Amino acid sequence: MQLALTEMRRAKLRFGLLTGAVSLLVFLVLLLTTLSGALVGALTGALEGLRTDGLAYSQTARDNISASRLPADTVDAVAAVSGVSAAAGIATLTTGAAVAGESLDVQVFGVALDGPGAPSGLQNGRLPTTDGEAAVDGSVSLGDVITLDPSGVQLTVVGLLRGAQFNAIPTAYTTLGTYDAIVRASFDNLPFVPINAVAFTVADDASISDVVAAIERAVPGVSAYSLADAVALIPGIESISQSFGILVGLTFIIGIVVIGFFFLILTVQKLKAFTLLRAIGTSSGRLALSVSLQIAIVVLLASVIAVALTFLAVQSLNTGLPVNLNVATIITTVLAVLVFSLLSGLLSVRRIVRLDPATAVGAR
Amino acid sequence: MSEQDATTADMGPDPLIDADQRPTALLQVRDVTKVYGTGHTAVTALQTATMSVEQGEFVALVGPSGSGKTTLISIIGGLLAPTTGSVHIGDIDVTALSRKELTRFRAERVGFVFQSANLVPFLTARENLLYVAGLIGSSKSGARARADQLLEELGLADRAKNLPEQLSGGERQRVAIGRALMNDPDLVLVDEPTAALDTALGRQVVQLLGREVKDRGKTGIMVTHDLRMVEYTDRVFQILDGHLTHVESSTGAGH
Ligand SMILES: Nc1ncnc2c1ncn2[C@@H]1O[C@H](COP(=O)(O)OP(=O)(O)OP(=O)(O)O)[C@@H](O)[C@H]1O
Ligand SMILES: [Mg+2]
Repeated sequence: MQLALTEMRRAKLRFGLLTGAVSLLVFLVLLLTTLSGALVGALTGALEGLRTDGLAYSQTARDNISASRLPADTVDAVAAVSGVSAAAGIATLTTGAAVAGESLDVQVFGVALDGPGAPSGLQNGRLPTTDGEAAVDGSVSLGDVITLDPSGVQLTVVGLLRGAQFNAIPTAYTTLGTYDAIVRASFDNLPFVPINAVAFTVADDASISDVVAAIERAVPGVSAYSLADAVALIPGIESISQSFGILVGLTFIIGIVVIGFFFLILTVQKLKAFTLLRAIGTSSGRLALSVSLQIAIVVLLASVIAVALTFLAVQSLNTGLPVNLNVATIITTVLAVLVFSLLSGLLSVRRIVRLDPATAVGAR
Repeated sequence: MSEQDATTADMGPDPLIDADQRPTALLQVRDVTKVYGTGHTAVTALQTATMSVEQGEFVALVGPSGSGKTTLISIIGGLLAPTTGSVHIGDIDVTALSRKELTRFRAERVGFVFQSANLVPFLTARENLLYVAGLIGSSKSGARARADQLLEELGLADRAKNLPEQLSGGERQRVAIGRALMNDPDLVLVDEPTAALDTALGRQVVQLLGREVKDRGKTGIMVTHDLRMVEYTDRVFQILDGHLTHVESSTGAGH
């Protein structure tokens, strides 16, 4: 294997350029994976992060929490179903807001902060304990006061959340009481303020699918979901995920094919040397190993550069999305690139195995 | 120098270094015919060639361009399969070896100096020699000592760290001769080393080849156009249009 390393040392420019090109390809795959993950996360994060086993919507909502309207007493009806250990209402609306003179859109969630449906992902501060407080995922700081528009209700930021956006806009989690106040500020003579969903947890000895079925049987006009199903059924989320999957997948495949071609070009350029090596008694297996080793080294070096580039890009590109570098995703992607690059290296290996060492002789 | 050389050889585990136990007619070529291509384009490069060369013999192979010299030594060296006929090295039937066995055979028993493109371009002169030692798993220190000694004898001591592209054509061929001798092979096959031999040093190189063959009981075949070189060989074979003939003793043939 000395041969592979010596060659790389003697041809630093060539292998350097190759590593650079491969690192750009890996960077592209990593960045697309990260950004699409961030975008899907921003669409689903709010639901995904709720501390609950399941959600119940009104049947007419067609899987869409924003379109769901339930009377507040549905919470008690759900709580009474056997297998449900706790239930609490979730109410949400989109509203205009202003923080320190800057206006923005906010998705307000009224939840039971000590019951099912409380948010997760607290980075800093605490969850609200009284009316008028909020935990926020957005560009605000602890202690900021958000003034909602048009209701005029003021929320003091007491906690900062991460990964809890909804439809890619900032979220503010507050008490159900504050939510009531926001709605009543605009519609002051409502008989009651409807909620959008009921969050419920399941007793230790019950299964979520049984409980979901039991709720739908016991509470008329309600559709129940496990949390995972509710997230997957968010309108449009499936086709968005699939589109990104295709985009990432295609980039990956193109990257692998290009890497395979790069090494095939290198191999074809070196056929004369390979033929000589075969003629003086090098087995084709040894040459194939040597090429594979070079592929592995180039891909691993390129991956290190690509991870660094991705890191820099995530720091400096301001997409307005909460972009997280996911270590597991990075490792999986790099390993996949490595494995498939080695497979595409079989193009080169095939060329080497087919060499006729006899062509090394003579003046040709 | 040659004591050190012998020590190196003794350290090798390979039985083929054990020169005493070999039969004397080391190389036997029987009725070898080589036809390139088929049908209208078929070229008969060799026609029922038969020769045998003893252990410790260094022979010359002469003949005009295109007569089949390279074809013959390629078949002998296990690079090319003959159309018919057989080649034996000691008790090995070279023509019966598998592809894999041929690769090993070439690494362990054959030292080949090709007509062109002889050296691995990204290895220095010394590394080109050490590389083939690595192929048969020789001890590193022994290989280094032998490589340095060979380079010294070939007048290349100060070129050891140069890449092939930094060497003259003659120097490159001498490095290739060093590589051919490196693994102490049974067979040394040298194809047209004219550039390497084109100087006073060249005569020393041929003498070195002859001495290696004699002292270590190898079989050497050198293809050459240069009749002055023939005087350092024991016998001369000639090929004309694929027909191999044995020319009488070469002593003084160049004069
Ligand atoms: N791979 C091949 N395919 C077809 N014909 C070939 C091939 N190799 C050699 N020949 C032909 O076989 C004949 C003998 O070739 P060979 O290379 O053995 O000659 P040579 O004696 O070594 O010549 P030179 O002194 O020019 O090197 C020539 O006519 C050549 O054209
Ligand atoms: Mg020739």
